[in-house]
Amino acid sequence: MTDLRMTRRTFLKATGALGTVAAVGVGGRRLLQSQPLAKALAAQAEEVKIIPTYCHGCAATAVNCAVLVHVKDGKMVRIEGNPDAGNNWGVGSTSLCAKAHTAVQYEYSPNRILYPMKRTGAKGEGKFVRITWEEAMSTIVSKLKEAKEKYGPESYCHLVSEFYPPRDQVARRFLNLYGTPNYCECCLCHGPRYLAATVTIGFCSESTDDWNNSKLIVNWGSNCENSAVNQGQPHALLNAIANGVKYVDIRPMMDPLASKADQWIPIRPGTDCALALAILNVIIGEGLYDADFVRDWCYGFDRLAEHVKQYTPEWAAPITGIPADVIANLAREMATTKPMVIKTGNGVGDQQRDGTSAMAAICLIEAITGNLDVPGGNYAGDNMPSMIPLRNFMVETLLDRLPSDAYDKLLAPSYPRFLQKMPQVISPVGFHTPQSASYKVLEAVLTGKPYTPRVISAQQTSVLSQLRNPKMVSEALKKVDFFFVMDQYWSPAVDYADIVLPACSLYEHGHNSFFLGVKNRPDGTWIGMRNKVVEPMGESRSDWEFWLDLGARMGFAADMWGGDIERFMQEQLEPAGIKLEDLRNSPRGIFVKRTEPLPPREYRRYAQLFKNLPHGKVQCYNELIGGKPDADETGTLPYMPEYKGPPEGIAQTPDLAKEYPLIFSDVHAYRLDQHSSYTGLPYLRELQPYPWVKINPETAKKYGIGNGEWMKVESPHGWVKMVAEYFEGIPPDVLMSKRGWWQKCDELGLPGYSCLDGGSEVNVLYNGDREKFDKCSCQMAKQTLVRISKL
Amino acid sequence: MAKQYGFWIEIDRCVECYACEVACKAEHNVDLGIKWRRVTNVWSGSFPNVTFKTISLSCMHCEKPACEAVCPTGAIKKQPDTGAVTVDQTKCIGCHYCFFACPFGVPQYGKSGAMEKCNLCVERLAKGQEPKCVSTCPGNALHFGTMEELSKMAQEKAAKKLAASTQPSVIVSK
Repeated sequence: MTDLRMTRRTFLKATGALGTVAAVGVGGRRLLQSQPLAKALAAQAEEVKIIPTYCHGCAATAVNCAVLVHVKDGKMVRIEGNPDAGNNWGVGSTSLCAKAHTAVQYEYSPNRILYPMKRTGAKGEGKFVRITWEEAMSTIVSKLKEAKEKYGPESYCHLVSEFYPPRDQVARRFLNLYGTPNYCECCLCHGPRYLAATVTIGFCSESTDDWNNSKLIVNWGSNCENSAVNQGQPHALLNAIANGVKYVDIRPMMDPLASKADQWIPIRPGTDCALALAILNVIIGEGLYDADFVRDWCYGFDRLAEHVKQYTPEWAAPITGIPADVIANLAREMATTKPMVIKTGNGVGDQQRDGTSAMAAICLIEAITGNLDVPGGNYAGDNMPSMIPLRNFMVETLLDRLPSDAYDKLLAPSYPRFLQKMPQVISPVGFHTPQSASYKVLEAVLTGKPYTPRVISAQQTSVLSQLRNPKMVSEALKKVDFFFVMDQYWSPAVDYADIVLPACSLYEHGHNSFFLGVKNRPDGTWIGMRNKVVEPMGESRSDWEFWLDLGARMGFAADMWGGDIERFMQEQLEPAGIKLEDLRNSPRGIFVKRTEPLPPREYRRYAQLFKNLPHGKVQCYNELIGGKPDADETGTLPYMPEYKGPPEGIAQTPDLAKEYPLIFSDVHAYRLDQHSSYTGLPYLRELQPYPWVKINPETAKKYGIGNGEWMKVESPHGWVKMVAEYFEGIPPDVLMSKRGWWQKCDELGLPGYSCLDGGSEVNVLYNGDREKFDKCSCQMAKQTLVRISKL
Repeated sequence: MAKQYGFWIEIDRCVECYACEVACKAEHNVDLGIKWRRVTNVWSGSFPNVTFKTISLSCMHCEKPACEAVCPTGAIKKQPDTGAVTVDQTKCIGCHYCFFACPFGVPQYGKSGAMEKCNLCVERLAKGQEPKCVSTCPGNALHFGTMEELSKMAQEKAAKKLAASTQPSVIVSK
């Protein structure tokens, strides 16, 4: 091996020689603990107060890392990981992602909403005046009472970002007491993948516990280095790679983990279902499946075998952009390398027209190759002793208070009604109360079908940068009788609100529902308090506080803890025998040691895993959902995975491709923002100053577009302006971008961009026809065709 | 000889997440536009036979710092107990000599005009903590220790110490 000579130029050019220096060799590696150093330097220690809490970085999701916040003179100064909590790779880990470290900029951002406001100009115009909380709340109360009386309680719809359990549980409780089933989810994330897996193989495991026993890990659409880099999966995957596992990465773009793969398979966005079906075709056609498992634990295998005969690798090749021999070899490798695990993520199953089928087909690959719940396979996770008893773990939503016909009154079921009527039988996620799809609810404002929503509220969700067809969304927000928003930042949708409420950051209140952050570990349960770190900015209040207050004002005080947040929290802790006071007085959290021993690791728990499935078996032929009405109730769900493909694509709409020759999609999550938010934070924005679109240099040059130059991206549905980022790790006929460029960053003098035509919001490019959405989960497809030109 | 502390970056564990770069800026309140630590990709090949490696680099804290040697005011000092190369901004006159002398282009100049760069988090070291970039690394790719310790760890991975006449205190390995 040659010496690596570092020179100024190579450093500045980021060392082109690095590719040659890296020696092969897998070695043990261990975090080096810091050594106590010269005492002379200790004098520099600052006077800071260290307050443990949870990170706000992934604000609206169920992902919260335990942190220690440093506060000086009442102001947040920095943040670090709490080593006691067991973040990322476990106890001792102090790691945090880039977003976490912008906590101070988040907290003190000039873009925060600080006071209740009411609209004075036209909807969307952005003219508002400051009002009191009293005026804001009494206006909301009177509108809610009026709507209930005039149009019935179901005319009130509440929009949320997906999975923010603590707040949503309190919100759901309020909705149930009010009498509306229309809790509206954005239909973007996780749920559909979870649903497809649970109705096919009975479980959806995200367990990394057994990856070191794997021989082959196939990352299929998991973007974990972007969406949850500090949640254990990337770390576990890196360990497995160091351990010698073969790693295959199936994603349209070469993301960082793909660069470490033995094989990267760039798949055209939204065509995963075709690939999965072709893999089933090869495995079954060549007899490479696990005959014993299929005989004992699969229902309807023969029908599946017949069904997938049509989906040959030659058929899938032009759809997926993957050569037929690559597909066939991948199928053989997946069938014969044992154990094998497919790690799925939000890039597959979500935001695809046939996402439910794609995920079901992937689960069937794992099943028929004998890789379910085996060592090193799709392991269903350790039998952990139960957590210390918290009240139901989640807040009781008082579902029984809803009228008995609530499910029938759902405005636009986000999952088929029949599935929603089976609470928690199939999946512990998603069916605590009925839910509608945000997109379709907004459509109903314009169409009046099946009925007209009259009051809409949105909480920490930016519908104009989240849902397809922002133009339709803006029209709906203009038309709805009354729209109120509670948020931290002024997203473009807020311009349409009648009343705006300022929400606290998670550093400004100590309000828990104890759903998040509790770490169930083999040795016990760690529970920490979300502590108040600093005073709320302006007149902002916590989301929890808002619902309790609204509940009390609406006459539900008795069921909303009398509006007392302390009572709400204490009540949840009672079964665990922990007092709120004790938790507050234990700044490092409370650790409850396990009294019973950890059960030994078990595999092949099929009777238990498949117990809710018809015949107690894997559903190759799905009798649970097949033939039942779809979410739109205009057709039925398939018994077996069916390919539909992107609404527009080179293979799907060849005539359109003559005019719009390039495939366009966007990443589900990106490591420098929280979905559509955070481009206003200086330390993150300086790493991605302009709305980027990743483009193969060969393609860009063909259109005369230089690296870093503005370009026009035009689809049959709308156009945006974006900045070309030359990127070798993407096929020449595919462009990838990300949504959410509405936030300005004053510190850097960078603007926010409009969410409508001519702005930089990718949602304007996609097809908004609900017929082109997934019929089981209402997932809105995010693939289209575009033409580009230099701006 | 006194101990020389440094970094070891295992590039096959780095996932280009920028946590180190942003954590460093937040820890030291670094001006916008200035980077004490920098994450960069090195690409090779072209589609479809393409790959890249990500590397995170800061000041090399050389055993024989060229910047210190040329500094006319004595603002740059190699700390005897840690080997950290630090700059006393009150003494710096912003002459940029260090910038031209450093083989790695490390020295930068923010609003104050004085040179600034990675200081190995000496204030954290004094408290027995690792540099912030190391403590925050989600991939566990970035390590801190004495060069002896790091060499020993890296040897198992057949690492190669960066070679230059200034003897950088950074190991880069797969």
